[in-house]
Amino acid sequence: MAEVRLVNIKKVYPHAGGTRKKKKDAPEKKNNLQITDEGVVAVQEFSLDIADKEFIVLVGPSGCGKSTTLRMVAGLEEISGGELYIDGELMNNVAPKDRDIAMVFQNYALYPHMSVFDNMSFSLRLRKKPKNEIEEKVTQAGGILDIMQYMDRRPAALSGGQRQRVAIGRAIVRAPKVMLMDEPLSNLDAKLRNEMRAEIIKLRERIDTTFIYVTHDQTEAMTLGDRIVVMKDGYIQQIGTPQEVFNHPANLFVAGFIGMPVMNFFDAELIREGDKYFVELEGMRVELSARKEARLKANDVQSQPVTLGVRPDHTELAEPGTGISAKIEVSEMMGASVHLHVSAAGRDVIIIVPTQEADEMPAMGDQINFTFSGKVAHVFSKEDERNLEL
Amino acid sequence: MNKSEKGRLKLMILRVIVYIILIFLCVLCLFFFYLMVINASRSNAQLSSGFTLIPKGHFIDNLVNAWTDASINIPRGMLNSLIIALVSAVLTTYFSALTAYGIHVYDFKGKTAVFTFIMAVMMIPAQVSALGFVQMMNKMHLNNNFLPLIVPSIAAPVVFFYMKQYMESVLPLEIIDAARVDGSGEFYTFNKIVLPIMKPAIAVQMIFSFVSSWNNYFIPALLLDKAEMKTVPIMIAQLRSADYSKFDMGKVYMFILLAILPVMIVYIILSKSIIRGVTAGSVKG
Repeated sequence: MAEVRLVNIKKVYPHAGGTRKKKKDAPEKKNNLQITDEGVVAVQEFSLDIADKEFIVLVGPSGCGKSTTLRMVAGLEEISGGELYIDGELMNNVAPKDRDIAMVFQNYALYPHMSVFDNMSFSLRLRKKPKNEIEEKVTQAGGILDIMQYMDRRPAALSGGQRQRVAIGRAIVRAPKVMLMDEPLSNLDAKLRNEMRAEIIKLRERIDTTFIYVTHDQTEAMTLGDRIVVMKDGYIQQIGTPQEVFNHPANLFVAGFIGMPVMNFFDAELIREGDKYFVELEGMRVELSARKEARLKANDVQSQPVTLGVRPDHTELAEPGTGISAKIEVSEMMGASVHLHVSAAGRDVIIIVPTQEADEMPAMGDQINFTFSGKVAHVFSKEDERNLEL
Repeated sequence: MNKSEKGRLKLMILRVIVYIILIFLCVLCLFFFYLMVINASRSNAQLSSGFTLIPKGHFIDNLVNAWTDASINIPRGMLNSLIIALVSAVLTTYFSALTAYGIHVYDFKGKTAVFTFIMAVMMIPAQVSALGFVQMMNKMHLNNNFLPLIVPSIAAPVVFFYMKQYMESVLPLEIIDAARVDGSGEFYTFNKIVLPIMKPAIAVQMIFSFVSSWNNYFIPALLLDKAEMKTVPIMIAQLRSADYSKFDMGKVYMFILLAILPVMIVYIILSKSIIRGVTAGSVKG
């Protein structure tokens, strides 16, 4: 129930004294971050407008600053620079308890000596709400999350999934303006994670609030987010809807990070002939789609060597003698499709072939040919790894 | 004899040896304790006649004599000791936990320096600073006052260190973050969330502080000289130097028995709360 605005947010961990964060992330993990005279820069130039009731997902590899950003919104981390507004109010120096936010932590962070009911009602009791109101709200949240039968238990007597439900329940009883979730599903096993992901989608329908969700899992990012913020080394790489990020990755990093299996990259040549654009590699020439051509032309992109990106799902097998030839190194049967790990054009490439199209299972060592269409080819600058279309 | 039987025999012999050693050590520990109880039940005449393991019937007499002794006010001494030991045990554990919490949870400039300083204080024996301390207390007219015996116990580096180590192993910082987001103030978080989690450590340190304060003779002997202010250890020392003509050994044994009783009671009460795994289930380990 609130808009959140982050304006040029920056976080610097001073060199000495600020030991807490450094202890958690070993320095070698952070060596991709900028180290200045002030200290280690964890987040910088972070600007984002989050609309009311929007579900924003911050995604990126570990150490990219996504959790730090979330903690700054929560007020658990001091903001080194920039401004944070919740509902138009400057929040930089407001204590977490006065921000009207709730947070779900990766490792649940339940109060071990309290029952589930007490855990969930803690924040309401602190706000001196009347007893019947507390009971009503906890019961309501407990009903939504299906944890009513555990109300008297201690967290120790619950399974991981149940504990995370309690943690979510603790957050929603208060109907906060902004709901912050810091990798809430990372500690659950794969099956439970899928279930809980669906629960969060349902939950979102039922409680009207703004969500900021941090994850390193791109499936979660794609399925949950209205918009995704892809981060790396403390910088925002791209902000967009899941489709935008998937179909038009802003740069090589986003292209490689979003999508499973990882996008295939080739060293190729971009050739401009009048209004037409082609990519050429291994003697194969593919004309880009009219839309792509229009965008490249609008950017006045000239012929140049590029990094070509093609998603494994967008590759197709080709007749022998056409396309790019490759040798199968590993063949993985996934059920509905077969993942072929091949080496082609000096790179490791993954090709996904639907099972129904493969008459017989390609075997290791076989020679195959593959191709792709001009609609799905992404061209990235060799110089700054940026998507030339954007 | 096959291999399995041989192994069993070996194991049995080993076990018997181990048990014999353990029983011997047990007896060694408990024998003198037992002897004290026995002696507390014997009259002065019986005690001077020699040594026995069989209890005699003067337990109540000795108790009454000790409790109502005219020269040494045992109930008063026990009350004094109890006040000092209980209050300082509570203060020591609370403030040490609070200090440890500050060092563990907050980031501030000079944190390492503060920690090192506290650790350095740990190295200084009490006797070194005692002279200056006693002089200062006399100048401040705080002799024959319990405050100099209670207040300094708040600064207990050893207890602090123990609490800090314990916190590092059981107190995830996310719980504190969660409490903050839930709207809890810093002291409220400490009192309502952190202290209950620290209960086992607090119980252990309370026992230790209580015992050491109860048994403390050195500083109280230097500061307390009024009869009604004296603590149990001072009274025991006084008994030893008492007049031989009125000397009742039965009473002395009874007095010693009474002196260790509160320590045992405190141990029994607090040992119940030393349960492990209180934090189990809070966060994913």
